[in-house]
Amino acid sequence: MVGLSEGEKHFIHGGIAQDIRTDGRRRLQFRALSVHTGVIPQAGFRTCLVASMCLFLLFLSGNALRVYVSSDWWLLVLQANGSAHVRLGATEIIASVKAELGKPSILHPDKGKVSIFVDCSPTAEPMFEGRGSEELSAELSVALQRCLLGGKSGAGAAIDLSSLIVVEGKVCWDLYIDGLVVSSDGNLLDALSAAIKVALSDTGIPKVNVSLSAASDEEPEVDVSDEEFLQFDTSSVPVIITLTKVGRHYIVDATSEEESQMSSAVSVSVNRHGQICGLTKRGGAGLDPSVILDMISVAKHVSQQFISLLDSEIAAAEAEAEE
Amino acid sequence: MKDRHLSLNQTQRVRLEAALHELQSLAPAAASAAAVTVADTIPVNQEDNILKGHGTSDQDGEVVATLCGVVERVNKLVYVRTLRARYKPEVGDIIVGRVIEIAPKRWRLEINFSQDAVLMLSSMNLPDGIQRRRTAVDELNMRSIFEENDVICAEVRGFQHDGSLHLQARSEKYGKLERGQLLMVPPYLVKRKKQHFHHLEQYNVDLILGCNGFIWVGEHVVVGEKTKPTGGQQRFSTEAENFTPLETRKHICRLANAVRVLSALGFTLTVELIIETMEASVSSNAEINDMLGAEFYVQTAEREAKRRADLLRKKNGAR
Repeated sequence: MVGLSEGEKHFIHGGIAQDIRTDGRRRLQFRALSVHTGVIPQAGFRTCLVASMCLFLLFLSGNALRVYVSSDWWLLVLQANGSAHVRLGATEIIASVKAELGKPSILHPDKGKVSIFVDCSPTAEPMFEGRGSEELSAELSVALQRCLLGGKSGAGAAIDLSSLIVVEGKVCWDLYIDGLVVSSDGNLLDALSAAIKVALSDTGIPKVNVSLSAASDEEPEVDVSDEEFLQFDTSSVPVIITLTKVGRHYIVDATSEEESQMSSAVSVSVNRHGQICGLTKRGGAGLDPSVILDMISVAKHVSQQFISLLDSEIAAAEAEAEE
Repeated sequence: MKDRHLSLNQTQRVRLEAALHELQSLAPAAASAAAVTVADTIPVNQEDNILKGHGTSDQDGEVVATLCGVVERVNKLVYVRTLRARYKPEVGDIIVGRVIEIAPKRWRLEINFSQDAVLMLSSMNLPDGIQRRRTAVDELNMRSIFEENDVICAEVRGFQHDGSLHLQARSEKYGKLERGQLLMVPPYLVKRKKQHFHHLEQYNVDLILGCNGFIWVGEHVVVGEKTKPTGGQQRFSTEAENFTPLETRKHICRLANAVRVLSALGFTLTVELIIETMEASVSSNAEINDMLGAEFYVQTAEREAKRRADLLRKKNGAR
């Protein structure tokens, strides 16, 4: 991260106080969001190697959020059940969802398992080389787990774990959600949550036929279908909105320069119904409780716009993928 | 600067391609002839006595390019010069740099060169303005002149025998830059001109086009106030009166966005072009942030194609 001189820091503080940030955005305005789905080929599908750029421009009436959606091709050696590539300004995230058959835990025999892991690639910052990104990756993974997975018993999870069960007590789906930070320019948590939501909407869980002839204590035979898929229901998956406090004001979607000037940041995870699913506070400065309540209400307000924006993007990306 | 990707819809892509095609046809034919990509054969007149320089290699007796760029010939030397290379300094260039280290009797600056540039304490005017020998006290007080991470404007004095670059900031117009933002563009977009300092009176903004690709857009500072030592941190209290006035800030942000759009399009940065782009955004009532969007990007490309076509027509008509 390049350092900033005192004059530049003063300029950034002034911009945020006067509601004109360095690139002209308002305090509660997001950068340009661009969403691609299906970037990692799914098992059983054939991926077309010719790049076809279908483009779609969507304006949200009444405010200055601008939305760009396009479909892209990306042939990687990996395979995933669902994937997404999200760009928020210069921050780029690739998220993938892999589903494997596993055994449910003894404490919760009627629930599947989900694990979230984030990795920061050295292409984003040179300091992420080797073990440099361990701390940041761990922090991001934990924050995402808190927001999306709920408590130990699975209560309050955004993803309905009971829908992942195949045979109660014996076979369940294990979802492995991976996020890769390719380019980092601030606001990683928001971009990661958006990428995970999009990847989950792109996920297809293969249909499983269970042979009924198995005895009750034997392992049942399962036949994983290659053709039929069940789409994941992501209507209850929340998004994370990070409010960064710089001086006396909060901003949404901070760049890395603005983040270096923050006194504290509160990340609120809100779902479609306006309910708060998770809360994280970062930064050393203390905050008055009234400030936190205000930040939560601002985040709720902003999140509704962001969720509808993201939903329309996902719909457009899916419409393109079908073409 | 990090790359920003723009998603264009179908009509915008068609318009952009048309504009870029027109720009390419307007470019002088010699320029495109000299461009090579990797594995292109470089035409050479005589096969012997040709010195193969950087970016070339000998393949089956032919000189083949190993980089994408422009072929340059100097006497018997043939080499390929890439466009997005690091900055290549020349004596007398005005550059903008950031202090990364304070060393004995000098500051080290980062200027997008292969090495850090050096600004000697003796090449710098002292705050009290008197020409005198630098003492040990001066050396201890270097931090009061420039600190780490400060943005400084200076001039290239020359190269030392070991290849390091030396700068000087003796004039009043050089010195620390505050109250603004620094933009980084590829160095080949800034051509050497007579003037690199531009004081835009109508906006009360200073625009400094550093030859190394660092561009400073900031509030106008009266010449002579630049090298004053920082009187503690009082100047940077977060009092509202101390911030840049709103109108000036809007102009600064618009100019900065104009520079970002032009550098994304790969157009040579000149003051006239930057001001023209900015005024086009004001006249079309675009929001400041919309200048970074797809529509303005395509419009800027079209405007530039039209401008160059008009220029060419005028030149041909005048003959």
